[in-house]
Amino acid sequence: MEISRRNSLGLFLGTVGLLALPISAAAEGPVYLGYQLPLTGNTAQYGQDFKTAAEIALKNFNASGKLKVPVEIIFEDSRSDAKEGVAIARKFVDDDRIVAALGDFTSTVSMAAAQVYKRAEMAQLSQTASHPDFAKISEWQFRNITTQAQEGVYNADWMNEQGLKKIAVIAEQTDWGQSVVKDFAEKVKANGGEVVFTEFFNRGLPDFRSIITKIERAKPDAIYTGFFYEDGAQFLKQMKQLSVETPVYSTSAAYNQKLVELAGPAAEGLFLTVTFLPNSESDHVTTFVDEWKAARDGAEPGQFPAQAYDAVNIMLEAVARAYPDVSRQNVRDELAKTKDFPGVTGVTSFDENGEALKQLTKATVTDGQFVPLK
Amino acid sequence: MSKDFIQSAGLKLVILAVLFVALPLLLVSLDKGYIYQVVMLALIFSLLAVSLQLVTGIAGLLHLGHAAFYGVGAYIAALAGADYGIGFTLGLPLAGLGAAAIAFVVALPTMRLVSIYFAVATLGIGQMIFLVLQNWVEVTKGPNGVSLFSGIDLFGYTVDSELGIYFVVATIVCISIWVIHRLSHSYYGNALRSLREDDQCADAMGINTVRLKIESFMISSFFAGIAGALWAYTTGYISPVDFDFAESILILAMVVVGGLGSIPGAIIGALLLILLPEALRGVGDMRNIIVGFVLFFSILFLPKGLFGEVPALNFIRRQMGAAWQDNPDKQKVGWK
Repeated sequence: MEISRRNSLGLFLGTVGLLALPISAAAEGPVYLGYQLPLTGNTAQYGQDFKTAAEIALKNFNASGKLKVPVEIIFEDSRSDAKEGVAIARKFVDDDRIVAALGDFTSTVSMAAAQVYKRAEMAQLSQTASHPDFAKISEWQFRNITTQAQEGVYNADWMNEQGLKKIAVIAEQTDWGQSVVKDFAEKVKANGGEVVFTEFFNRGLPDFRSIITKIERAKPDAIYTGFFYEDGAQFLKQMKQLSVETPVYSTSAAYNQKLVELAGPAAEGLFLTVTFLPNSESDHVTTFVDEWKAARDGAEPGQFPAQAYDAVNIMLEAVARAYPDVSRQNVRDELAKTKDFPGVTGVTSFDENGEALKQLTKATVTDGQFVPLK
Repeated sequence: MSKDFIQSAGLKLVILAVLFVALPLLLVSLDKGYIYQVVMLALIFSLLAVSLQLVTGIAGLLHLGHAAFYGVGAYIAALAGADYGIGFTLGLPLAGLGAAAIAFVVALPTMRLVSIYFAVATLGIGQMIFLVLQNWVEVTKGPNGVSLFSGIDLFGYTVDSELGIYFVVATIVCISIWVIHRLSHSYYGNALRSLREDDQCADAMGINTVRLKIESFMISSFFAGIAGALWAYTTGYISPVDFDFAESILILAMVVVGGLGSIPGAIIGALLLILLPEALRGVGDMRNIIVGFVLFFSILFLPKGLFGEVPALNFIRRQMGAAWQDNPDKQKVGWK
């Protein structure tokens, strides 16, 4: 019990707070990772999905024998509450066995927890934090979600190729929605197009009709949307009810089989970018989808669990590369070196800020299915 | 020191000894950032619960938007620090005053409302402030939230050790709670209680009820703003969802479970609702259900709260009475 002895010595000398113990996990025992996620509360369904995805990834990794020692993940429930998220981050940081952390789900909690990880110098990899500044907080933050800096630019070019010049943009009023509009609009202007209408709506808006009417008054060639599937389904249905035929483009956040279920025929012809298609034939995707279906009574995994699955795998690969010197610093450095990782959400590399660069696929909805466009 | 001094000051000394000697020693010996975090959270929410107690428990105005004023304080402190370079020393009072100023503006039209109508009005105010924080992107940065990188600087001296931050938070919370304690256990507090019991009667007795309501609302918001500034500085990042309706309800639950009208009760309620969910972390997903059961049964069996108003008042009167025991002319003085 080296640590407690040092601490009590520190107490007697009154020099506590200056202790900087070099932290490295014992080479023989298991390597521990922390995962903070909402297992209860309003966003529990996402957290539970991440947990299932992480368990699948961990089981396969430990069975593969890539690492001589097993890896374990400690899950903690943050309820998507910044108060709890910060407390968990400090708990993980205190635990000398934990070499790196995954999570949290929402940007708010991830950002608040990031301040702790930054100070304590421990790598944090979020599968979903979409805040434009998240990865810029410090060299310790990483994320496995495409940023709008990448996706917005990609979509603007895509629409430009289709000859769509006058574009209306709507997005939800969140940090993510803000970045959807900003990055996309800049590229549209650079391409010589024009954003003729911009509006933000609060999540869960039941009635989009007034927004749709306003969009139509601006007479755009196409509508670019930053929404998740629930809002997306409402929007598309109401577009159909008002017989508006303007093509709609969206981001990978709208990708979810539930969008098609909820919107029905109204979803037909929606254009969007995706990184994960469960009906893809590549090996990792089928492995993941099969195991997910086995764990979840045949349900198909959505975009977010797939991102969590990849995030855990990226982290595990980094741990394996760092072995046998699995220190927090080494895991962070190996994480930063992630390049062309063959994930289920596309080939992924981290740039110098810890942002994920992913291969994006253009897709559309045809006959109730998401199909890739060539 | 006379025996009476010890008797009257005893409790205060014990509280101060626990907060400023025993607890710091424990924190240092454990040296766990997690424990620091939970303790500071408990302190901040104690202040929030006590400040709400003044309006809801003592003046009897059911307030459903307290978290919004907590948010205003946090935003003022964070924006002043991040955008204008105004440090903690000035940002802290500014946060309190800003929250109080907004409370004054919204109190003016709402103070004519009573009971449930007032509650619904405060619900609306809370939502309005939340939506402003969420949607006024140019000023509040909207859903992007505000990152506050500067640490706590106190009159030019930077406090960056865990222990130092703890002492700053504990001192501010202690002073704030002491002020609310003196206000509520005084003639002033009795006047507020008279509003709660029967404001028409109080009015007839010559108490300026509207003014008292506005004052208590502002004082309460001032301290909520202070708590907000402490939260902003101890976390380093705030966003609107930290101050939504659920947070108001959490604070209200602390007040009700602890005992409406009782200052010690509010603190106990805050400690319970912050520490219990953390202590139950090991239980896993069931922990929220257990917390729910604890709340349910405590209200069922102790509807007046864990430390209700009557025992709290008796307790505090005994404390204060002891201080006047040796009054030379045996004259009855002070608050009864």
